[in-house]
Amino acid sequence: MKKPVLLIATMAVLALGGWGALRGSPADMPEVQGMAILDADGNAVGRYTVPADKDILTRPNADQILYGKRLLADTARLLPDNVGAAMNCNSCHLGDGKIDAANGYINTVNFYPRVMPRAGKEVDLEMRINGCFQRSMNGKPLDPEGPEMKAMIAYMDWLRQDVPKGQTVDIINAGPIDETLVPDPENGKRIYAAKCAACHGANGEGMSDQSGDILFPPLWGEESFNIGAGMARTYKAAQFVKWAMPPAMHLTGPLGQGGVLSDQDAVDVAEYFTHMPRPDFPGKVNDWPNGKRPRDARY
Amino acid sequence: MRFVRFALLGGISGLALAWGVAVTSPWWFAPKEDRVVDVSDPDLIARGDYLARAGDCVACHTAPGGAPFAGGLGLQTPMGTIYATNITPDPETGIGSYDYGDFERAVRKGVRPDGVHLYPAMPFASYRIVSDEDVQALYAYFMSSVAPVRKENQPATIPWPASMRWPLGWWQLLFAQPREFEIAEGTDPQIARGAYLVEGLAHCGACHTPRGLGYQEKALKSDAVGRFLSGSVLEGWYAKNLRNEDTGLVSWTEDELVAFLKTGRNARTAAFGSMTDVVQHSLHYLTDADLTAIARYLKSLPPRPGRETWQPQPDETTEALRAGDFSAPGAIAYVEHCAQCHRLDGMGAAEIYPALKGNSMVFADDPSSLIQVTMAGGRMPETPAHQMTFAMPGFAHLSDEDLAEVISFIRNSWGNHASAVTGRHIARMRRELAHKPVHYAPEAKQ
Repeated sequence: MKKPVLLIATMAVLALGGWGALRGSPADMPEVQGMAILDADGNAVGRYTVPADKDILTRPNADQILYGKRLLADTARLLPDNVGAAMNCNSCHLGDGKIDAANGYINTVNFYPRVMPRAGKEVDLEMRINGCFQRSMNGKPLDPEGPEMKAMIAYMDWLRQDVPKGQTVDIINAGPIDETLVPDPENGKRIYAAKCAACHGANGEGMSDQSGDILFPPLWGEESFNIGAGMARTYKAAQFVKWAMPPAMHLTGPLGQGGVLSDQDAVDVAEYFTHMPRPDFPGKVNDWPNGKRPRDARY
Repeated sequence: MRFVRFALLGGISGLALAWGVAVTSPWWFAPKEDRVVDVSDPDLIARGDYLARAGDCVACHTAPGGAPFAGGLGLQTPMGTIYATNITPDPETGIGSYDYGDFERAVRKGVRPDGVHLYPAMPFASYRIVSDEDVQALYAYFMSSVAPVRKENQPATIPWPASMRWPLGWWQLLFAQPREFEIAEGTDPQIARGAYLVEGLAHCGACHTPRGLGYQEKALKSDAVGRFLSGSVLEGWYAKNLRNEDTGLVSWTEDELVAFLKTGRNARTAAFGSMTDVVQHSLHYLTDADLTAIARYLKSLPPRPGRETWQPQPDETTEALRAGDFSAPGAIAYVEHCAQCHRLDGMGAAEIYPALKGNSMVFADDPSSLIQVTMAGGRMPETPAHQMTFAMPGFAHLSDEDLAEVISFIRNSWGNHASAVTGRHIARMRRELAHKPVHYAPEAKQ
């Protein structure tokens, strides 16, 4: 006699609970999942949450961090003497460097200094940033001790949210691409016209916004990155194209970016635009002094 | 005691009378026309095809992923879900056995061949004004050109007693009286054509006109007090004010309007939500002449008194943001989450990223659409005009407070001015999104 009563009571409770769960309102935003923090052996030792920019205001050097944020986002306008191309840092480091597989800045401060194959020696963060200025931005290096350099690094340092050196946040700079694929630039040209030209222009000329700030950077020509840039290499560009381009494709994700092209199409279109005319890089003679030159290097 | 008995008797007789009036109304209020239409006339079929596009029949009468016109899309009502019916010419499950009179009666009068009243989800109150010639063309198209699909109609999930159909007879008597298309004498023929399409087949008012207590559109054509197409909220979307007034279309040029209707975007804005479907499945098929007629008619809808123009305030936002002054409430979140596409100047990029500055959807009377598109994202329609179709991702992962602040910032920056959005608006939308109706019958139940 007791059992059915208990059963009915349980069912009633479950039903009510289910009803409640169905009708229950989501209280404010969903809980943030964050990303794992890994130690040197790849063990998860904590969670990292991408901070909101308003967190900057709580920092003692808030002005410096915000200045750094602006320099990274509006590099060409704010540092015209150092930027030769119509590019901003964030043209490639999407979403203020907060996005997975889009050249984030989250691990940057902890990654350097490091011996890099291209330089053949130890490179510190200032050198690395100046590498970008001379290659991707086709411009001149910043004073490594100057306020602009310090501000950019302050932003990246804030973004790591006190993750100590030796640990990394579990994100990648760029997603994988099948590097055995042989590029077909003719198909690349078609892909470019269909999927890229709406923003980057039929002639790769890019597009500025109505205030004259760079919105979509030029992908070739005098205003584009030079051949010393990582983005001038077919497979590196293909990684970016596949995982981070185009933006505004999906209803989810920080920019709704990526996931549109197959590996082959990404490799083809990368081959096409990287090999269009672009500025030379005078410092190329010093690259890969110890060999190990990647096969898609341009020189 | 006697009073109770009297009241009871009166009540029952009243109900019986109401029932009697309603169930017989198909015969005296919506009689069947007797006419034969040549459904093999290719010109008539072609015109019907075009008109079916204009009426966007396919939008409701097709389940997502389902065969065109075979029904199955659900419309959520407070009492349950109504499913659009199979209107392919399948003789058993569709409308294949309808003669012209049956078809006309369903489309314009809202009555099924067996005398059952249709739910006003079918916009027959608007279709009342569709001309005889056009209904005949539609009939020829559906009978001769639509592929028959055998698919049983999905019964509505409305429980008894609300499931009784006869009260709908009274709804029709009250809100869907017979009428013909009327337009003031001397009206520009192009505006008249626009009015005919907007009020009739295109049934724009179904979403854009506010509804009354009986769920009827408060006006089915341009009215003296300006309720027609003055904006209405449906499923958490604000179908915007389309009158030629402040928060309506006064800030839109006719060309911008035509480009929007044809391609789903123009230099300033882009379609999202249900309007994406309307452009994709209906409007972009219309001729430029008809789209111009629609635009010109909308631009002719007089503003309500005091709402003749919309003047932006001076834009102080662009300069502040470009100079790194993020002190305005919501500014820092705007720069973080929105500016990469919509830009510091709030101008976006023409036909790629909609502008927020001067965009009447942004400073609309009701912020629902802006809130929903911000939280759930939106997608432009696919049309032959553009190779790439862009989408905006949703930002529901931000807190109520942050969303309220940034949306208020957008509504009141670059010269925009509108009411503030609060955390309660956001919380309400979160509930709305969590309980969003599923617009089709689950495959297993079909």
